[in-house]
Amino acid sequence: MCGIAGFFEQSRSVHDAPVGQVLLTMLQGLARRGPDSAGVALFGPGADHQVVLRIKLGGEGDCSARLAALRNFLDSDFTSRYQLASHGNAGRLVVSEVANVAALAAAVEALDKEIEVVSMGARLEIVKQVGSPANLDRAYGVSQMKGTHGIGHTRLSTESKVDLSHSQPFGSHQIGDLAIVHNGHITNYHQLRRRHEQCKVRFYTENDSEVVAIYLADQINKGLTLKEALHAMLRDLDGSFSCLVATASQFGFVKDPFALKPLLWTETASFVALANEEVAIRSALPGDYEVREAQAGEVRVWER
Amino acid sequence: MGEVNCEGRTSREVNAEIKRQVRQGESPIVVRNPGARHNLGVAILQPVTVQIHGSVGYYCAGLIDGATVEVAGSAGWGLAESMLTGLVRVRGSAGNGAAAAIRGGTVVIQGDAAARLGISMKGGTVIVAGNCGYMAGFMAQKGTLVVCGDAGEAFGDSLYETVCYVGGKIASLGTDAVIEKPSSGESESLDALLAQRLDPDARRKLPRGADFKKIVAGRKLWNFDKREWKTWQEAL
Repeated sequence: MCGIAGFFEQSRSVHDAPVGQVLLTMLQGLARRGPDSAGVALFGPGADHQVVLRIKLGGEGDCSARLAALRNFLDSDFTSRYQLASHGNAGRLVVSEVANVAALAAAVEALDKEIEVVSMGARLEIVKQVGSPANLDRAYGVSQMKGTHGIGHTRLSTESKVDLSHSQPFGSHQIGDLAIVHNGHITNYHQLRRRHEQCKVRFYTENDSEVVAIYLADQINKGLTLKEALHAMLRDLDGSFSCLVATASQFGFVKDPFALKPLLWTETASFVALANEEVAIRSALPGDYEVREAQAGEVRVWER
Repeated sequence: MGEVNCEGRTSREVNAEIKRQVRQGESPIVVRNPGARHNLGVAILQPVTVQIHGSVGYYCAGLIDGATVEVAGSAGWGLAESMLTGLVRVRGSAGNGAAAAIRGGTVVIQGDAAARLGISMKGGTVIVAGNCGYMAGFMAQKGTLVVCGDAGEAFGDSLYETVCYVGGKIASLGTDAVIEKPSSGESESLDALLAQRLDPDARRKLPRGADFKKIVAGRKLWNFDKREWKTWQEAL
C-alpha cells in the first residue's frame, strides 16, 4: 500500500498555484497508507535559460567533501552561472545557459559515486526523504512551494530498502522534467530491467517503481507522446499499477487492466486532482465537485 | 432526529456516536462533513436511516442488517460489502467492488460503478443508473444486478444464479455469460423495480424494461466435464 496524489492547475495564466501546500495536505491524508517515506515532484514557475537539479550528496554522515568537490567542478565549468544551496545531504543547484541537462547531471554524478541527481529539468524539482509528510515539509518547506502542477507519494516499502533513493517520486536521468509516482507492484520488473540495462541504462535502486520512469522516458525518447507511452505501458508492464505522471506541460494517469489499485480523480474548471483515496482530495480541496474512480486500463492526460 | 459531525473525529469515533444515537432510538441520523472517511456506518444492525451529507471512503455501510444508508456524494471501494438486508443509496459514483458479496438488501448507485460491481453477490438487488466497469457480477450466486447504462469488459463472468440486466452496450461478456431476451413478465418487474428505486426524472432518461438485455449463466462451468476441456482452458 502506498499513497499517491497529484494536483494540476487548469488555468494557463496561473504559474504560482499553491501546489506544495495542496500536495502536502493530500499526503498527510494518505500518510497511513505509507509511513516509510514521503516525497513530492513539483513543477515550479521556472526561469528562462535555467535548469534546476535536486541532488542527493550522500547517505547518512558528513557530505562536506562531496559538497566541496561539487563547488570546485561548478566554479571551473560554470563560474558565475550557478547557485548552489545545501541542507544536510540534499542540494539544490540552479545553472543558467546549459545546453544539455542530462550531460550536466552525468558530470555531477561522475564527481563521486555517492552523489545522485534526484531530479533534473527546467521546472521539475523532486524532494523526498524517509519519514512523514510533516518532516518533509520541515526539511524542504514544501508547503511554501508554488507552481503549476505536481505529484506526491507516501511509501510503504514492500520489496526494497527504505532510504531517500528508494523513495518516490522517481525522476528520469534520460530526459528532464519527467516524474512518476506508482502504487502497486511491477511483476515483470526484472525482465524489463535487464532489457533496459542491456541498453546501458543505469538503475539507481532496487525499487520496481523506478522502471516505470525509465520505461516512460525510453518510450518518449522513441517519439511517443505521453498518452501513447501510457497506453504502451498497459501492454508492456505486468502487475498492479496506479501511476501518476507529470512532465513540464502534461499531467496524467494510467491504471492497470485489472484495476487492482485504487485511483480517484476529479476535474473542475480550475484544477485536476488525483489520489488513491478521496479523503485526501477532500481534505486538501474543499468545494462541491464529483470524484470518480478510474476504470481498469484507463489512461488520461491533461495539458497546459 | 440525530446528528453527527465528523469534523475532528476519527471514523471509529463517528461510528461509535452513530451507534450511541441508534441505541437512543434516533432516526434519521444525519452525518455531516464526512470528508470521505473510511468505514462510515458499518455494521448497523437496526432498521434506522442514516443520511451522510457528502462523500464517503472505503467500505461504507458494510455488514449492515436492516438499516437505510443514504450517501449524498460518492463512495470509495467496497460500498455495502457483505450487507445482509437494508438499503444503501449513493447519489454519486461508487468505486471498485461495490455491493460485493451482499446477501440481501438493495444497493442503488445513481452515478457510475467502477470495477468488480456485485462480485460474488449471494442475494439482494443492485441497481446502477449509470455505467459499470470491468468484471461486474463475477461469480455472482443469487439476486439481481441491473446496470442501466453501459457495462465494461468481462461482464457476468462465471455466473451462478444471479440474473443481470444491462440497458446499454456491453464491452464484452465474461466466460459462460449468455444474453437472453427477458420475458414480458421480467421486463415488467424490471420496470417496476426501477420505478420504485430511481426518481422519476432519472428513470425517464433510461431504457425501458423491455429494452434491457438479460444476462445469465450458460451453465457450462457448473459441472466439470472433460469433454468440455476447451471451455475450461479458456475459463481458467
